[in-house]
Amino acid sequence: MDHDTIVKTVNSIFVERFELDESELTPDKRIIEDLQLDSLDLVDMIVGLQQKFGIMLRDNPEVRAVRTLGDVYTLFEKLAKEHPEIEEKFR
Amino acid sequence: MEKRRAAVTGIGVVSPLGNSASELYRALVENRSGIRAMTEWHDEFGRDIAGAPVKLDPAVVKQISRKVRRTMGNTALFAGLAAQEAVAQSGLDPAVFTSGRVGCIIGSTVGSPSSMTEACVAEYEGRRNDLSACHFFRIMSHSASFNVADMFGINGPQLSTNSACASGLQALGAALELIQLGKVDAVLAGGADESTPLVSSSFQLLYALAEEESPEPERLSRPFDAARTGLVCGEGAGILVVEEMEHARKRGARILFEIAGYATNCSGWHVSHSDELQIANCMRNALADAGVTPGEVDYVSAHATGTKVGDAAEAAACRAVFGSEVPVSSLKGHLGHTLGASGSLELAAVYGMMRDGIVLPTRNLEQVEDCAGILLPREIREQKVRICVKNSIAFGGVNASLVCRSAD
Repeated sequence: MDHDTIVKTVNSIFVERFELDESELTPDKRIIEDLQLDSLDLVDMIVGLQQKFGIMLRDNPEVRAVRTLGDVYTLFEKLAKEHPEIEEKFR
Repeated sequence: MEKRRAAVTGIGVVSPLGNSASELYRALVENRSGIRAMTEWHDEFGRDIAGAPVKLDPAVVKQISRKVRRTMGNTALFAGLAAQEAVAQSGLDPAVFTSGRVGCIIGSTVGSPSSMTEACVAEYEGRRNDLSACHFFRIMSHSASFNVADMFGINGPQLSTNSACASGLQALGAALELIQLGKVDAVLAGGADESTPLVSSSFQLLYALAEEESPEPERLSRPFDAARTGLVCGEGAGILVVEEMEHARKRGARILFEIAGYATNCSGWHVSHSDELQIANCMRNALADAGVTPGEVDYVSAHATGTKVGDAAEAAACRAVFGSEVPVSSLKGHLGHTLGASGSLELAAVYGMMRDGIVLPTRNLEQVEDCAGILLPREIREQKVRICVKNSIAFGGVNASLVCRSAD
């Protein structure tokens, strides 16, 4: 799964669920401080990632440790290699 | 000690006949109907039953901040939009909301039946993990109330009077009592509800819905009429700014009318059968609370939804309390039954009647049989409305009556 697809997919969650403008979504943006997500939004971010990538993340400590949008991209580059079902979903 | 008095200084409406108090009132004066065939529900009912839906402009909805809107089902959304109108009209300083002296009391039958249905479908289909973190906040019984409190930063008492179709009127009554007790200076109060196939089918199951498919759906809601077959479900919200009279006067606010008395009771014997004796007692108690005699009442805004049993019981109660000289009408012929919103939403129209010196008739009332013996206007009646009684009657055997006095 290529980097651009991951970025596009992750960003779509932030646009659709959190009504953010695509231009705001750069890897350095801190999810809480810069993008203004709160605790409910963080849960919905996980729900959105689960739906888009087709894997369960709720109990994954790594997803709860992300701080920036870039952290999310990096995490999914790793998860895409570990979970063939992600590749399958995007094929 | 003299009771503190409660003034209404703002009114907001979301309704099947427009999303402002003035649009609603104009439509009622023009005898328009908010009822239409619900073609979008055809699959659920196997035909086009009648309904009275609200139409919202998505751009207006989006003016509510995302962080408040995300926990709103339609019920809370209707309440929020109505509250914005009411607050704007009241001219209340936004700083007052965070003083701890302003409350928010909004009731509904269910927090959001559409959100509840979505959650049930997700559960049934094994998609529980797809639900938003915000979903439960849309379903909770006090969803409209806490969401509206959050919209305005209200940090005084937040209550939710969930008594089905009496919810809105009970909210206004509770607001009056909190003001009388000196616990608050103002309250955003009223009711809201949304209509879905689940809601309409709940009445259908009880043979209380006007469920026939008709080429003239706008004629199906017929309160007090001999040919009535049941109610038509509507939706919306009516939110009022209820303010302690001196608080309102000191800041030079325009007093729209006074909420002078209130009572609520229940039958204590049946969850769905109206009880004419207890409806009459409720009205008498509200009049006593206001220090008003039945002979001083100029108008009764009835609950009457168009059901066989309910309308007859309310008519009998009105006959027992007021005799045959006080005009009585129901606005549900125009609006359908907006459920928990109905009491406070219809008060918006009652205010127009008090201001303009008219009584609006019951739409679709053509022939009176079992509801005879009370004065049921068939057309707009020009007369002063200084004191009026507004009724709400709900499942659970609940009754609520509010006595209002014009500002003149």
